[in-house]
Amino acid sequence: MSEPLHYVIIGTGAAGTEAALHLRQRDADCRITMVTAGRLLFIRRYELPKVFDGVEDWRELLVYPPEFYDEHGITVRRNSWVTNVDPERRVLGMRHKEEVSYDRLLVASGGGGYIPAGLSEYRHLLQRFATFGDAIRMRQSLPEGGRVIMLGADMTGLDLARKLTAAGFRLTVVATEQLFWPHEVSPRKRTRFVKALVAMGIEVIQGRAVAGIEATNSGGPARRVVMDKGDLRGDVVIPFFGLMPTLDFMVGAGVDIERGLLVNPQLATTDKNIWAAGDVCQIWSPEENHYRFYYGWKNVKMMGRIAALNMTGDNEAVDTVKEEDLFINANGEIDSPFWEYD
Amino acid sequence: MSRKRKPVTDIQIAICGSAGDGTIAAGDILKRAMARAGYKVIAFDLYPAEIRGFGKCIARTRITANQVYSMKQKSDVLISLDDSHAIPHVDEVCDYGAIIYEDNPMSKVEEGGHISGHAAPAHIPYGIPFREMSERATGSARSRNMVAVGYIAGLYGMPQKIFHEIVTAKFKGKAAVVTTGNIAAFDAGYEAGAATIRLDFGVLESRSRRRGKADLVMMNGNAATVRGCLDAGIETFFGYPITPATSIMEILAAEMPKTGGRLVQTEDEISAVAAAIGAGYTGARSATATSGPGLALMTEMLGLGTIAEVPSVIFVSQRGGPSTGMPTKTEQSDLNLAVFGVAGDGQRIVLAPTNVEGCYKCAGKAFEMAEQYQTPVIVLLDLYLSNRYEAVAFPEKNPFVRKCSKGVSRRGTGSPYSRYAITDDWVSPRAVPGTEGCQHAITGLEHDVFGRPNDQAHVHEMMSRKRHEKLEAAINHPDITISKRFGDRGKVDVGLLGWGSTFGEILEAMFVAQKEGIKCAAMKVVMLSPFPKPAVVPYLDDCAEVLVPELNYEGQFADLVTSATGRPVNRLNRVPGTPMRVDEILAEIRRLADGAKQMAAE
Ligand SMILES: Cc1cc2nc3c(=O)[nH]c(=O)nc-3n(C[C@H](O)[C@H](O)[C@H](O)COP(=O)(O)OP(=O)(O)OC[C@H]3O[C@@H](n4cnc5c(N)ncnc54)[C@H](O)[C@@H]3O)c2cc1C
Repeated sequence: MSEPLHYVIIGTGAAGTEAALHLRQRDADCRITMVTAGRLLFIRRYELPKVFDGVEDWRELLVYPPEFYDEHGITVRRNSWVTNVDPERRVLGMRHKEEVSYDRLLVASGGGGYIPAGLSEYRHLLQRFATFGDAIRMRQSLPEGGRVIMLGADMTGLDLARKLTAAGFRLTVVATEQLFWPHEVSPRKRTRFVKALVAMGIEVIQGRAVAGIEATNSGGPARRVVMDKGDLRGDVVIPFFGLMPTLDFMVGAGVDIERGLLVNPQLATTDKNIWAAGDVCQIWSPEENHYRFYYGWKNVKMMGRIAALNMTGDNEAVDTVKEEDLFINANGEIDSPFWEYD
Repeated sequence: MSRKRKPVTDIQIAICGSAGDGTIAAGDILKRAMARAGYKVIAFDLYPAEIRGFGKCIARTRITANQVYSMKQKSDVLISLDDSHAIPHVDEVCDYGAIIYEDNPMSKVEEGGHISGHAAPAHIPYGIPFREMSERATGSARSRNMVAVGYIAGLYGMPQKIFHEIVTAKFKGKAAVVTTGNIAAFDAGYEAGAATIRLDFGVLESRSRRRGKADLVMMNGNAATVRGCLDAGIETFFGYPITPATSIMEILAAEMPKTGGRLVQTEDEISAVAAAIGAGYTGARSATATSGPGLALMTEMLGLGTIAEVPSVIFVSQRGGPSTGMPTKTEQSDLNLAVFGVAGDGQRIVLAPTNVEGCYKCAGKAFEMAEQYQTPVIVLLDLYLSNRYEAVAFPEKNPFVRKCSKGVSRRGTGSPYSRYAITDDWVSPRAVPGTEGCQHAITGLEHDVFGRPNDQAHVHEMMSRKRHEKLEAAINHPDITISKRFGDRGKVDVGLLGWGSTFGEILEAMFVAQKEGIKCAAMKVVMLSPFPKPAVVPYLDDCAEVLVPELNYEGQFADLVTSATGRPVNRLNRVPGTPMRVDEILAEIRRLADGAKQMAAE
């Protein structure tokens, strides 16, 4: 009997976990190892704002309980950073100097918040909001009714903004062109949507630029955002400028990379043993004749499933969720299919 | 759904590494600091089996708000200083417990050789670059262990200043740079820990520092035994090293010269006990310490001590047997040897403390008893008790009587001194050699009241009776717990009966059973010989079912109880080499309680 295949998945987010589940369904005997830099199992990230409603226990955000992984024979290696991939030897190099070998590899490493070059020197003064730890830290920095200054904003940021407003915090959004990213919005519609945001209790500042950020120790809010005209004071400054695919460890792996990891509609990379799914990959669109990203929970889950099918012998192409527009709902609030999770 | 955290402090931290990693030192600092901070602490260290070389060490520390009596089955935190040693212990971490490990090892790790790959989905991993942080803080990787202790202290918000005090005290006498380096490494870890969002669920409430309790000392069973010896005025000690008793001799070697005592390492155990009995004969308070294999060698000499009625104290720390057995594993399988291991009818006193404080008391009282009843006294410890640390409150006043030998009254010249005179309490006035007018012989042969060899029937009958009768008074010896009952009063469904180190687990199981509504009690028996029947029998009368959990295969204590009382008991015998599991005792209690209820219903 031949050795069971070893599938390794980098990333335990929606794409990676969905893939693992389908791999197990397709091959009862294979070895499945998921690797993640994070310390927690797969959580519903969009529920992170629940920490502002008093949720302290991250187990309430788990998508699957720990037993799920045991029951499905899925090894999850957390707090483990992949630093490089050697496709010739079919091994991953880990930051802790271990090599993990694979037969087939799925890269589902997602993306991290993009920070424009002009703001990178203020990184230490910026709050992040990608992990449970980030959310707890933000809650610790925010006094009751405190003010959050959101730089940029995008649909992920606006999701957080509306939940923070509902939880009694004050929101100031310093808007850019990409305010509703990844939705593309005409100038006319933008005006309407901004009005709706204001009606939702979110202050929106437009047409002004950030010149710097300072920490203040003089009592009152802990941050000052220096603008081209006047300053803003807030307890927390948080940037949302869209996502940057996380794939530094793939540089040198010999696969094609543009902004994301380039894959065909079957999610295969240019290496025959490596696939990609989720926010990390840029998929060839034959209709549009270029590579493009498909963000969002529903899209990446679907990609995870298709990657698993194709890694186990199928040849299915992605059928991305049809892009639907941003709209204003019956309550007069902006709403988006991007905010529907399942 | 809002899951509430456990409200009460109860966290067990295991540090696992190689002998050269400073694992035990790290555990030592942790437990001392937490005891000083006012927590209840109990700890149990495991050393490598090899005397030299780089074997596995584990330092386990349980920190609680309320007194507990045993280690937990699963730790809340595992700190790995050496993954190859720690990986087999990953499954000893509770669900949602933390695994803290080196994230940036020096060299390449074999596939599967890193602990992160072995953490269960319900574990919380914390990867920390211990080595790098130690190098940055001190210029060397040697203080990795201190970075690790600092990290856990910072993560849980333990009091940093107290750790500084403990580290300073630990390295007192060494170059100042050793202390500052270790504190710098600790602080580097502390800072990192404090900056980490804690995702595990171990509970450690902050506590105001205990004041005015300077005499609450973290100590293990062997060290407490030594303190008992010293407070009882030990004058001579003869020993031969053997795990797990060796540290008794090591500590005494450092302490005895300070009070004018003498310690000799003899060529073997036979010489050690012979010398101890010889010194006892001269009137010196004298002892030896060994383990099961050493006691086996000593049995012939102990018979001499019994027949010649010479005081001596023998500390025996049990380990897995028979023969060389399992030198670094705990067991309670030398009871038979301690109680019955002798040629002829050679009864002696055998004490078995159940906790660290008990080691102190039994050690001191053993000298009193040896002297008062003119007999060898064995104090039966075991590896778990010898190496287990507890915070002990020693009494302010020395509780031991220094001189309690039944002396010889001033003698006229007429009648010869009868060393073995038959008296009301069967104890003869004892003169040490050189006492004027008290010349006498001692011998291993049966003898008459003067010590002259004599094997006549009536003499042997009388002397045998004398040697047994005089010991009966020991079960009422003052100021020592011979046996003690805990838990529910009156009639109970299940009564636990235990001895030695296992009694901590027995108590823990009893408390849980009581919470579950089972009528349950537990009795510890400290004096195994002579057997304290007057206390045990009424207890047995109160129990619908009696359960005797012990760490031996044969049920040696259960046999002793049944032979002494004529009562049957239920047995729970385990020989895993590790302490008895509370959950196993509990399962038996539940089973017996169900049975007792059914019987009552029928
Ligand atoms: C706060 C927040 C709110 C969001 N809200 C919404 C929403 O409302 N609606 C919506 O549709 N989408 C939302 N999104 C976006 C959506 O979550 C993403 O599209 C989706 O999570 C991407 O899934 P993924 O599996 O591709 O990657 P991710 O979920 O980002 O997972 C990436 C995984 O890769 C691992 N990884 C990365 N690099 C390495 C490495 N070097 N070594 C090891 N592991 C590595 C990470 O640890 C992680 O496990 C939100 C995202 C965030 C951060």
